[in-house]
Amino acid sequence: MPQFTTMANHGTSSRHAPGHAHHGGVGKYIVVFLALCGLTAISVFVGSNQYLRIHAPATMWATMMAVSCAKASLVILFFMHILWEANWKYVLTVPASMMSVFLVLMLVPDIGRRTLNYSAERWYHAAEPLAVLDTLTRRKLPT
Amino acid sequence: MTTHGFSQAHDHGHGHGHVSLQYQPALPLSRGKLCLWLFLSTEIMFFAGLIGTYIVLRFGAPENTWPAPHDVHLAEWIGAVNTFVLLMSSVTIVLCLEASKNNQAGLAKAWLLATFVLGSVFLGVKAYEYSQKFSHGIYPAQPHSLMYEKADIYYVQAVRQSLAPRYSNLLALQGQLQQEGKALSADQEERLKLYDNLLNNLVKWTELKAARSTDNLERQLAMNHLAEAIYPLRELGEAGHAQEHHYVEMLGEEERVLKREIGLVGKRADEVKSERQAKASELAAIQGDLERLQADRDKLQMQLESLQKPSESPEPAPEAALSSPLGDHLVVLQPGNQPEDPPTEAPANPEIDRLTSEIQALDEEITPKQEQLTALSSEVGLLDESIAAVDAEVKTLEGRLGILPLLKEAAHGLNHHYPDLQLPMMIPSGNMWASTYFLMTGFHAIHVLVGLIAFVLILPLTLTANRSHIIENTGLYWHFVDLVWIFLFPLLYLF
Repeated sequence: MPQFTTMANHGTSSRHAPGHAHHGGVGKYIVVFLALCGLTAISVFVGSNQYLRIHAPATMWATMMAVSCAKASLVILFFMHILWEANWKYVLTVPASMMSVFLVLMLVPDIGRRTLNYSAERWYHAAEPLAVLDTLTRRKLPT
Repeated sequence: MTTHGFSQAHDHGHGHGHVSLQYQPALPLSRGKLCLWLFLSTEIMFFAGLIGTYIVLRFGAPENTWPAPHDVHLAEWIGAVNTFVLLMSSVTIVLCLEASKNNQAGLAKAWLLATFVLGSVFLGVKAYEYSQKFSHGIYPAQPHSLMYEKADIYYVQAVRQSLAPRYSNLLALQGQLQQEGKALSADQEERLKLYDNLLNNLVKWTELKAARSTDNLERQLAMNHLAEAIYPLRELGEAGHAQEHHYVEMLGEEERVLKREIGLVGKRADEVKSERQAKASELAAIQGDLERLQADRDKLQMQLESLQKPSESPEPAPEAALSSPLGDHLVVLQPGNQPEDPPTEAPANPEIDRLTSEIQALDEEITPKQEQLTALSSEVGLLDESIAAVDAEVKTLEGRLGILPLLKEAAHGLNHHYPDLQLPMMIPSGNMWASTYFLMTGFHAIHVLVGLIAFVLILPLTLTANRSHIIENTGLYWHFVDLVWIFLFPLLYLF
């Protein structure tokens, strides 16, 4: 906690001494960049892994989202300097993030679970599951 | 408590061992940065709303219907390249800020220019991706979009409506040119043949199946078959090749079935035709008999009439009634009346009697023959009808058989084989995919564009340390744009 007070002091003082670049540094940015590239590669690898896609899609999605969150954290913490900012960062980011979560949750009953309430007529115009199509079109013709 | 403490501090001043509270006029950051962060917090909610809606829409879609990236011409590697480009630009803008803070204005400008170029590359790639979608008929909304949720009769109708005007236009052009003594170009001729083939064999066959078959599965199968011929949804790599191979095999099997069916239907047609021939010859024989009988009857009738002729003028009926009691007198007095009486009186003239009875006998023969003739001709009519039906069936089957080589040749899809054909495609949940894809990437692209405009505005400045806060704020915005893409890339390209 005391770290934050010093940072707060620094936050105000940095405006008066802009030339002073004590945090960050080119080396750190390069490391972060390489980490971001590595994480992207993990995403691409997981996303193009057909075994995962077929047998454990939830794992695949969760991995990709975790990787994305890690990447986002790196960008926010280092590139956006949040790591070195004062406590105001929580005031601005935490409520917005909570609102985002609520926004999404509010969509779940009506949008996310919409097909549960589809009438028979509505299904006439709904998309046909691909798996069903496959078994249909690949059905052997009677000989 | 606080007021008391505050007043105490006020009263006693400082330097008495109390905690000294530092007065903060505002948040410990510059106003510009505060505004930018406030803006970014609204942006977080904005994009969280968009991304969240996408996730909810996608996972709420009917099961297994969301299109795979390659189904909608989305290349993962292009997305990955764009991710790399944006990450690079994030590094360059951060290095620009560092250089600016260190008062290295020239270096800062170079990094800023690099950021601008990278951002432009990102937008260029995005524009290329959009144009790829548009050229394949993937648009966010209906008037241009060629995507259909399922292969139903509306889909088949859409395919017909897409082909019919092109076909009739070419036909009209051909007619017009023929009048002028010219002909279609080889290319146009080929097109006309293709449209004719697709419309009158592929689509019509599907329509007939969909309209006539009583088996629901067979109807659905026919329509799915049309959709697969136009735009197959297959997996990538080996599995996709196997599926395409299977499809070609299936077409071969259909060819064999069709040939056998054509043989069977042809045999049936032959049977019906020979039956018709037999009936027709029977009909002709009966007709000949009838004509002969009729001629005989006419002859007899004429003989009869010639016998009856002299007695034609006076009315026979009342005379006949009187004739029996006064017969002798009449015979004596009016010898001219003599032949008039016999037809009514049997023994009077045996010749007339014979003729009448012969005519009667002929009539008895003619009537059933006539009945037979009517029955036979209606039978022949029915046979003609069934011959027409069988011929139509053979024609339909032969048409279907005729298009199979084309389908085999274009096993990877007619739309792919003929890029300008652009027939409606069956991509389940494709429209929802397009709506979300274009909305999210569109808003992101607008943000990139705004960032580029900001860079253009900053570029002329000398980026010394006293201006580093401008770089810092623009950089924060740019990092946020990168942040959004960090989520969009896996969600849109890899999920």
